[in-house]
Amino acid sequence: MRRRTEIQLLAILILSFIPCFAHAQAEADVRRSGPFFLTVQLAGGQGVVAVGGGYWLADRRLEPEVLVGYVPRSIGGSRMAVFTFKTTYTPFEPKLGGRGDWRLNPVSVGGFLNYTTGKQFFLTNDSAGRYPKGYYWWSSAVRLGAFAGLRLTHHSTEPNLHGWPRRTSFYSELSTNDLHLVSALTNKTLRIPEILTLGLGVKNGW
Amino acid sequence: MRLFSTRLFLLSMAVVLAASGCNLLEYSPNQAYVPAAERHLTAQNLRRLQQQPLSPTDTLRFVFIGDSQRFYDEADDFVASVNEQQDIDFVMLAGDISDFGLVREMRWMHRRLQRLRVPYLTVIGNHDQVGNGRNAYQTVFGPLNYSFVRGGTKFICVDTNGREYGFQGQVPDVSWLTQQLADTAGTQRAVVVCHVPPTDADFDPQLVQPYARTVRSNPQLVLHLAGHIHRYTAGQPFRDGITYLTTYNFEKGRYHIVSVWGRRQFRLETVQYASQN
Repeated sequence: MRRRTEIQLLAILILSFIPCFAHAQAEADVRRSGPFFLTVQLAGGQGVVAVGGGYWLADRRLEPEVLVGYVPRSIGGSRMAVFTFKTTYTPFEPKLGGRGDWRLNPVSVGGFLNYTTGKQFFLTNDSAGRYPKGYYWWSSAVRLGAFAGLRLTHHSTEPNLHGWPRRTSFYSELSTNDLHLVSALTNKTLRIPEILTLGLGVKNGW
Repeated sequence: MRLFSTRLFLLSMAVVLAASGCNLLEYSPNQAYVPAAERHLTAQNLRRLQQQPLSPTDTLRFVFIGDSQRFYDEADDFVASVNEQQDIDFVMLAGDISDFGLVREMRWMHRRLQRLRVPYLTVIGNHDQVGNGRNAYQTVFGPLNYSFVRGGTKFICVDTNGREYGFQGQVPDVSWLTQQLADTAGTQRAVVVCHVPPTDADFDPQLVQPYARTVRSNPQLVLHLAGHIHRYTAGQPFRDGITYLTTYNFEKGRYHIVSVWGRRQFRLETVQYASQN
């Protein structure tokens, strides 16, 4: 059962590239709207819920953003806040159906860097103050990661007060982080789905 | 083509949501939360042991190994080898189940070790305490200090990772250990299991002598077992008649089978299950 899901996921990832080529000539003008967006994300390793926002760059293909996530005691054992800097790159936006409002982003890729608060975490081995040099090589507070995902974007036909169309994206993405990746790279039997984390979210720009 | 994209998208979403049922949804790599079936593994495995009673007059044989940290390939080989052994009661893993103290590592290792025919028990290692690891260990496995009696032998598993607590003189909890060793009701033998041996620099220096004094206070004590240093050592470092053993880590492709019986009798066997690295 788990093996089947793995194959399905792989198939989706490969298939999701196909429509990109059919619609590679996405009209640039629909991309243009206001530069700011707000984000609400669930899971994906950035907290149970993370909220934040960012600024669109490169004709809305590049989305740098900052998120603040929350992990309650019931999930973390103690409360934690997760501060994430994240950048998403979305190269294609083919049109869906004939009605014009919904667009598919078959692939978005990006990276993130986050910092988790809590006195149990150390920034570096040396800053912890209790370990000899080189005792632990990684930072327990900082995670570096990469992700790939897809999204559905809705363009409102009614411009807002500033004359910019509103734009809402629903996204899902699969990510991994440096420590999970190191584990997979040093073990043949650790399968790719075992190191993936699912995140779901919505972005709203104006 | 456009219709195809719509269907493809909906299908993708469905698959992604279905996948969330198989452990993809993670709030933070530092979370302690795991599904209910993977919680309190120590208690779960002790219950499994209780279902197969062992007479105090029988010889008790258990597998002893340490430091599985990030050796998932080796874990599969280890499980295959232990499953071929006869008359093994349980497996004792002497800490450092994880490398980074992440809950997922504990789950990855559990997914492999749960294929053992016998229950496995653990004691917390220093790597299992990194970051939020102590919370994760407590959720996945259970208490940091605990004991159980098996076939007349009392196993006392104690957190000795003093460096992780900044050598505050609190860990190991010597008074808890004293109580445990003093309570010999219904037992004929005692074995202390921990991760960092008291001869190591990661053991709280101010507690080395009090700890050794406590360990030798129990006349039933058979062995003191530890991991952490990734190799086999045996000796009586405190010259008090108490044998302190350390065992291999998963990378070495070897484990020990410890047999205890009678009055403080023990035997040690070494099993090689993979080419030695």
